[in-house]
Amino acid sequence: MGIITIDKIDHLFWLGRYTERVHTTLKYFLKGTDRMIDADPEYYAEFCKKIGIVNVYGSKEKFLQTYPFDESDPNSIITNLNRAYDNAIVMRDYIGTETMAYIQLALDDIKMAERGNSQSADLILVIDHLLAFWGCVNDMIDNEQIRNIIKLGQGIERLDLYLSLGNPSYEIIRVYRRMKQFLLKSKLRYDENVIYTIDNMISGSDFNYQSVKNLLRNLITE
Amino acid sequence: MNQIIKKSETINKLLSRYGVKFGIYKNGTFKEQLFPFDPIPRVIKHDEFLFLEKGLTQRVDALNCFLLDIYSNKQIVKDGIIPEEFIYSAKGFLPPCDGVVPPKKIYSHISGIDLVQSKDDNWYILEDNLRVPSGASYPMISRELQRRSAPDAFSSNSVIDNRNYADLLKEVMDYVNTGGINVILSPGRYNAAFFEHSYLAEMTGAVLTTGKDIVCENDNLYYIDYNGKKQRVGAVYRRISDEYLDPMTFNEESVIGIPHIFEAYKKGNVALLNAPGNGIADDKGIYYFVPKMIKYYLGEDAVLMNAPTYLPFYEEDMNYVLSNFDKLVIKDVAEAGGYGVIFGNSLTKEKKAEFIDLLKSQPRRFIAQEVIDFYDLDILDEKGNQVPRKADLRAFVLSNGKTKVWPSGLTRFSRDPDSFIVNSSQGGGFKDTWVLSR
Repeated sequence: MGIITIDKIDHLFWLGRYTERVHTTLKYFLKGTDRMIDADPEYYAEFCKKIGIVNVYGSKEKFLQTYPFDESDPNSIITNLNRAYDNAIVMRDYIGTETMAYIQLALDDIKMAERGNSQSADLILVIDHLLAFWGCVNDMIDNEQIRNIIKLGQGIERLDLYLSLGNPSYEIIRVYRRMKQFLLKSKLRYDENVIYTIDNMISGSDFNYQSVKNLLRNLITE
Repeated sequence: MNQIIKKSETINKLLSRYGVKFGIYKNGTFKEQLFPFDPIPRVIKHDEFLFLEKGLTQRVDALNCFLLDIYSNKQIVKDGIIPEEFIYSAKGFLPPCDGVVPPKKIYSHISGIDLVQSKDDNWYILEDNLRVPSGASYPMISRELQRRSAPDAFSSNSVIDNRNYADLLKEVMDYVNTGGINVILSPGRYNAAFFEHSYLAEMTGAVLTTGKDIVCENDNLYYIDYNGKKQRVGAVYRRISDEYLDPMTFNEESVIGIPHIFEAYKKGNVALLNAPGNGIADDKGIYYFVPKMIKYYLGEDAVLMNAPTYLPFYEEDMNYVLSNFDKLVIKDVAEAGGYGVIFGNSLTKEKKAEFIDLLKSQPRRFIAQEVIDFYDLDILDEKGNQVPRKADLRAFVLSNGKTKVWPSGLTRFSRDPDSFIVNSSQGGGFKDTWVLSR
C-alpha cells in the first residue's frame, strides 16, 4: 500500500485530529464534571469558553447530557467521534479492519454510556479504546508515512487544544517538539517560517499562546 | 451446530466491532446498520456442492460465451435462438460495447448466481447477477469470527474454509490485469455496500478509490499520488454501475465515474471487472433463454434448472399468465433488489385489472414465474427460538481462464415469516454457507 493521494492524506490527517479532539476534550470534560459536583456547579460556562465553543447549554444538567452525547450538537464529543469514524471508514484499506475496530468500539462505548447510570465512569472506556486505537496505529500500520500523518494530525490537535486550555508551557513545548518530529517524518509540505517563528518564540521570552495558535493554522501548506 | 448457536451473541458483537454493516436510504436519509447475522449455517453436503459446482460453472461459461457473441457476431440471434427484440430493447444492452472485446475475452469475472432449494430438494436458479454482485465479504468475515467464537463447531465438522475469497478475487484481477496496479472503484462512503468495497480492498491489497485520484491520459489509466507521481492502473474492479462508469460514454451527468475510462478499456489498456454491458446477460427476460444458451454454446443440457418462467411476449405464455395470474409471481425486468416483484394473489381486483392492462401494453417488460415453494431454513428469532424462514443462496463464481465456484456463498433470509423477499435492503439477514469437504 505505497500510494498516498491528497484525498487520503486529508482523511488520515483528520482522523488523527478528531481522535485527539475526542481524547483531550473528554479527559477535560471528566475533570470538569468532578469540579461541577461541589466546587463550581457553573464551571461548564468556563469550560465552553476555554475550548472555544459557544455556550448554548443554559444549565449544568443540560451541558452534562448534551455536550458528550448529542449528535445534533456540532461541538459534542460524539459528533467529533463520528467525524473520526467518517475519516476512518474510508481508510480501511490503509489502516486495517483491526485498527478501525477501536473507533467503532469507542462509538459503542459512548452510546452505552449515554444509556448507563454512571456516565462519567462509563466514558473512561472511550479513552481506553482511543488509546488502543493509537496503539494499533503504531503496531499494525507498516507504512511509516501513513502512521506519521495520523500522528501529525493528532499532534497538531493536541497542541492546539493545550494552547486553548492554557496548559503549562513545559507541556506545550513537549507536545510541540513531538509534533515537529511527525511533521518531518510525514513528508508533507509545510511552511518552514512557521516552525522557525515558533522555535524562536519558545526559546525567547515572547511565548504567546494565541500567536502560536494563529501560526499553527498556516503550518500545513497543502 | 449447538456450539455456534450458543455463541450467537458473541459473533454478532464481533460483527459489530468490525463494522460489518450495510447502508440504506430511508426517506432520503442515509443510515448504516448492522447486517443481521443468523448463526445457524446453511449446510451443503459435499456431493451436493459438486452438483452445484458443475451447474454453476456451466451456466457462467455459457453466459460468458453469450456476452462475447452478442457484442460481436450475434450468431445466437441470427440462428433464431433468442429473438432480437430481447437484445436491442433490453436496458442492459449497451451499443458502445458492441465490437469491444475485454482482456482475455472474459466479461463476467465475478458472477453472483441466486438459487433456491425447493421442498422437493431441487435447486432452481432465480437470477443471474453479472454486473456488480455483492455480498461475498459477509460470509467471509463472519467465518473468521465464528471460528474465533466457536472453534469446536469447526473441529467437529469438515467445513471447507471459505476465507480464501480475497485470494481468488486477487487471482482474477491479476489474470486480466494489463500492466499496473489493481484498484477497487467505489461510489463512496454512502454506497450500500461500502463495507464490502473497503474490506475487499484491504484483503486483496488493491487500492480503494472513488475515482477522484484517477485520470485517463493517452488512453491509459493512472492513479496519481500526493506528489503528482502517476502509477499505471491495469485492472479496475468497479463497484459502480455501467451508466455511471464514464460520463463521456454513458450518463453524462455522472459525477462518480472516470471520464474516458471506457476509451482506455476499448483500446485494451485496462481491464474492467465486470465488463460494461453485462446487463444484457442478467436481464430477467434473457434469463428465460439461459438453458437454451447452454445447449447452443456448450452442447450440453443445463444441469441447474430455471424456475418455470413465462414470457408474456409470446402469445401462448401470455394466455397462460392471464389464466393463472393468481398463482404466479410477476417481475419487472428493469427492477432489482427485490423491487418490482408482484405476487398475483396479493392484488385487489382493481389493482389486478390495472396491472393486466399494463402487462398487455408492455409484455416485454415483464416475466412471470411459478412461485417456488422454497425450502425454509431455521433461524433464531429474537427470543432465541428456532423458526423457519424463506432463504436463498447467492453463489459466487469467479472466472480467470478457469471457472471456479467459491465453496461457500451468501445465504440471505427473510425475517418476516410471511415474506419471500430476502434482500438486505428490505430487512433480510444473512447466514454463513458451510460446504462440507466430505
